[in-house]
Amino acid sequence: MPLKLLKCDVTIPEREKHVYIKEPGEDTTQYLPISNAATIPGTLSERGCSYCGAKLVIGGVLKDTIQMIHGPVGCAYDTWHTKRYPSDNDNFQLKYVWSTNLKEKHIVFGGEKQLKQSIIEAFQEMPDIKRMFIYTTCATALIGDDPKAVAKAVEKELGDVDIFVVECPGFAGVSQSKGHHVLNMGWINEKVGTLEPTITSPYTINFIGDYNIQGDSQVLEKYFHKMGIQIIAHFTGNASYDDLRGMHRAQLNVVNCARSAGYIANELKKRYGIPRLDIDSWGFEYCQDALRKVGAFFGLEDKAEEVIAEEVAKYKEQMEWYRAGLKGKKVCIWTGGPRLWHWTKALEDDLGMTVVAMSSKFGHQEDFEKVIARGNEGTIYIDDANELEFFEVLEMVKPDLVLTGPRVGDLVKKLHLPYINGHAYHNGPYMGFEGSVNMARDMYNAIYSPLMKLAAIDVREKAALEVGV
Amino acid sequence: MSLELKQKERCGIINPMYNCQPAGAQFASIGIKDCIPLVHGGQGCSMFVRLLFAQHFKENFEIASSSVHEEAAVFGAVKRIEEGVMTLAQRYPDLRVIPIITTCSTETIGDDIEGTIRKVNKMLEAEFPGRELHLVAVHTPSYNGSHVSGYNVAVQSLTKTLAKKGEPTGKINFFTGWLNPGDVKQIKHILSEMGVEGNILLDTETFDAPTMPGKDAFAYGSTTVEDFENSANAKGSISLCKYQGASAANFLQTQFQVPSVVTNTPIGIKNTDLFLEEISKMSGQPIPDSLVEERGRAIDAMADLAHMFFANKKVAIFGDPDLVIGLAQFCQEVELEPTLLLLGDDNSAYAKDERLAELEKNATAPMEVIWNADLWELERRVKEGQQIDLIMGHSKGRYVATDNKIPMVRVGFPTFDRAGLWKYPVIGYKGAEWLAETIANTLFVDMEYKKNKEWILNVW
Amino acid sequence: MSDKVEQLTKFIQEKCLWQFLSRTWDREEAISGVIKMIETLQTGGQPVIETPIDKCHYADAKVLLTDINKAFSWFGELKADQLGEVLHGAEARLKQITITGSLNGELNHQLY
Repeated sequence: MPLKLLKCDVTIPEREKHVYIKEPGEDTTQYLPISNAATIPGTLSERGCSYCGAKLVIGGVLKDTIQMIHGPVGCAYDTWHTKRYPSDNDNFQLKYVWSTNLKEKHIVFGGEKQLKQSIIEAFQEMPDIKRMFIYTTCATALIGDDPKAVAKAVEKELGDVDIFVVECPGFAGVSQSKGHHVLNMGWINEKVGTLEPTITSPYTINFIGDYNIQGDSQVLEKYFHKMGIQIIAHFTGNASYDDLRGMHRAQLNVVNCARSAGYIANELKKRYGIPRLDIDSWGFEYCQDALRKVGAFFGLEDKAEEVIAEEVAKYKEQMEWYRAGLKGKKVCIWTGGPRLWHWTKALEDDLGMTVVAMSSKFGHQEDFEKVIARGNEGTIYIDDANELEFFEVLEMVKPDLVLTGPRVGDLVKKLHLPYINGHAYHNGPYMGFEGSVNMARDMYNAIYSPLMKLAAIDVREKAALEVGV
Repeated sequence: MSLELKQKERCGIINPMYNCQPAGAQFASIGIKDCIPLVHGGQGCSMFVRLLFAQHFKENFEIASSSVHEEAAVFGAVKRIEEGVMTLAQRYPDLRVIPIITTCSTETIGDDIEGTIRKVNKMLEAEFPGRELHLVAVHTPSYNGSHVSGYNVAVQSLTKTLAKKGEPTGKINFFTGWLNPGDVKQIKHILSEMGVEGNILLDTETFDAPTMPGKDAFAYGSTTVEDFENSANAKGSISLCKYQGASAANFLQTQFQVPSVVTNTPIGIKNTDLFLEEISKMSGQPIPDSLVEERGRAIDAMADLAHMFFANKKVAIFGDPDLVIGLAQFCQEVELEPTLLLLGDDNSAYAKDERLAELEKNATAPMEVIWNADLWELERRVKEGQQIDLIMGHSKGRYVATDNKIPMVRVGFPTFDRAGLWKYPVIGYKGAEWLAETIANTLFVDMEYKKNKEWILNVW
Repeated sequence: MSDKVEQLTKFIQEKCLWQFLSRTWDREEAISGVIKMIETLQTGGQPVIETPIDKCHYADAKVLLTDINKAFSWFGELKADQLGEVLHGAEARLKQITITGSLNGELNHQLY
């Protein structure tokens, strides 16, 4: 079947171009859902804004940086306490957010003075912190403030601070994806190459596109360190601002999330000749391939095999145990975009599960090429799915589990379906070998929880049976 | 004792305690049955607020976005409203109300919401002749006020748009303000004990949605269009939160001669007494024995705790203004000393709030009230060594408590780092009892972890 | 042979991310580069590694080759000319799917 118009979409037929069901013999030259296109207003889509793509996803991960949000207070309030990315310095980045608290008078007369004052105050209140990201928002973009000029003036005035400005108001682009792009390009243009990193190993990489969700980056770092490889910068899990200024010195860019950070990898290749090696850092099998590739690049094949052997020995048995329970279980992946293609075959190959429906919030067609190439026939692939489409798809595919965010998770619970947090995880990390086990465990526990089975019972009928009515 | 009222000195915010206006308008909207608000702005303005509600309630609420993009800066974005409303109307046949909630972007652009509503109403009439679908303009630019005023503006706009003169209902309007479903349930409990019929605006009790065998229960608000219509035909209105909802009651008084009373938020014994008296006066119903007993039980429980565990403990409280002031009043009843109150927006009317004068009169320790405050005001004072024995506030302040090992009672919105708190009341006698016992249990755990005379509990 | 080309193409489509790089020129370079490395390695030749990009193709090819040999017993039995035919057939198919026939509207943007 080609592109599919769901029943709930009859009044918005343009949605047909965003929904695809793969049939035998088809490939992406025949059908490829439209994606990274504007959402139809009023559809109850799951998308966020581009500002959050920059701040919440990438910039806000940095563990030593003031996140100054130039706008009304809500943009700061709403992108604080909404992510699970810890750090090794007691989670500074989780604890604070800064706002210029823009008010009507600033809309009328301009907000630059307010911005400058807020920046200086922020550095004064936390004198140990010397780095800052500034984000514009819808309001400050519309009034035409020039935050870059303000940042320059403050840098000059204070002398020892470094500031990066992201001009990506929420209404720019069609989703958070635009914010990823703006931040990537801004950083390579303005900050990469402004600081020379200390080189401690003959083998150096940047690990691009992982955000230390529940400690993911730290798991991967452990493997690379065991192989004797120095990670100059994680982009941006558990990273420091200054780490990222030295990205130009790595010999290899290892890329996990190509959607949010492929841009900077491409530019590093174009400008500095650093090759881009795309890997999957989720998945038990995938992770072995990833380490082997990096090993092969540096001639560290033996080291890679050592790490793999050690990790596989530690976790293989558990993976097999979970595989026995999860084999044949049907799962939906409704997340941001890349996890669709990272996870679909990993869940099949590692655990014998079947991915029956996938939805991407902000993926581009590149992501759909990947996921359709990797995904099953009969599986439903949707770009920017909305609430009614989710309900209809659940009816069509009847999954055992949904990997998605808490909001949709709360919704499917009412339909007696367990969910696992596909964005922030239930109990991660989910990357690497131990992560694969964690993810398998969480899925197993969700599927085999007695609660959803109890939910399905109507106690009146049960009581009736027991009393023989 | 002194009460010093001052504004935060810094101009920027470090760790906000309030959200922006559209968030408040969205909270009001989800309290309505068959209603999906359309937030007119960037997608984040609704997506994150939905997430916030989900964090607090562990439930999903339907909120739509008009998905405004760059071209709107040049051409305006009213087309997005037209499309958004029509799409909602087409796909949600039971829908009866769509509040159109503006944001900073669409207010700055200057979209003509009222004009657009007139146009869309014609489009709706053409496509769905005879269908009743109310579009309500809610102007909540994010750069004014806070979620507190946003909630107030939304309730007022909804009332103004929907209220309609008709037959008297004999009911009393209760404008709840942004309270938790547990509080709404408490209001209903009190009314039921008193035999008074209330028109609850907004009734959020059903946010506590069960998982049912028939898979047919979802979280929703249960105030109907008719409830709003009939607000004009009530015997009177009682507003529980001066800063959230009272404007709507005052509008009904001016427009429809429905008498309006704004009570102290009924947190603590005295405030609940006042609340019951107002209900009794307005309805003509006496206060029943059952509530006198509830009152007695609460006082009984509080007396077990006050001088032994609470006396002279310094308390910092942050959150919505009516909640913070009410909690401070409650603290004074149980011998806790509310020494630092933080109000998070720039509403200069706080200076004239009579409850603050009363707090000052009853204070046994000097009090500081900071308005336009952020959570850094709290953290800085803690770091500078100011004595704070207990923090009361929402979960966004959790690190001030945990990093500095100060016991904290989560209260208000959002309380995402504790399970199910929103199901419990802080208002009414039961709320007072719950608060006293929750504070006590929080202090007890702290005594045990810090080995601070924890052996007192051996024989309590 | 065409059957083997299809098997190999499907295998690579499912497994490898380098064919899906962001732009036409990246995909061209990666597909040609990795396939060439595979051919060299499988025929016991000395891979030419002059640039870091070559090294990256080598790393991808080396791991993929192990996987191919594991998946297809026939692969190791191909004679040199057959190997060339299968590999270049797959290369052409991959380029057709991911470049010339691709419906990805962003493939030819001049900028990233």
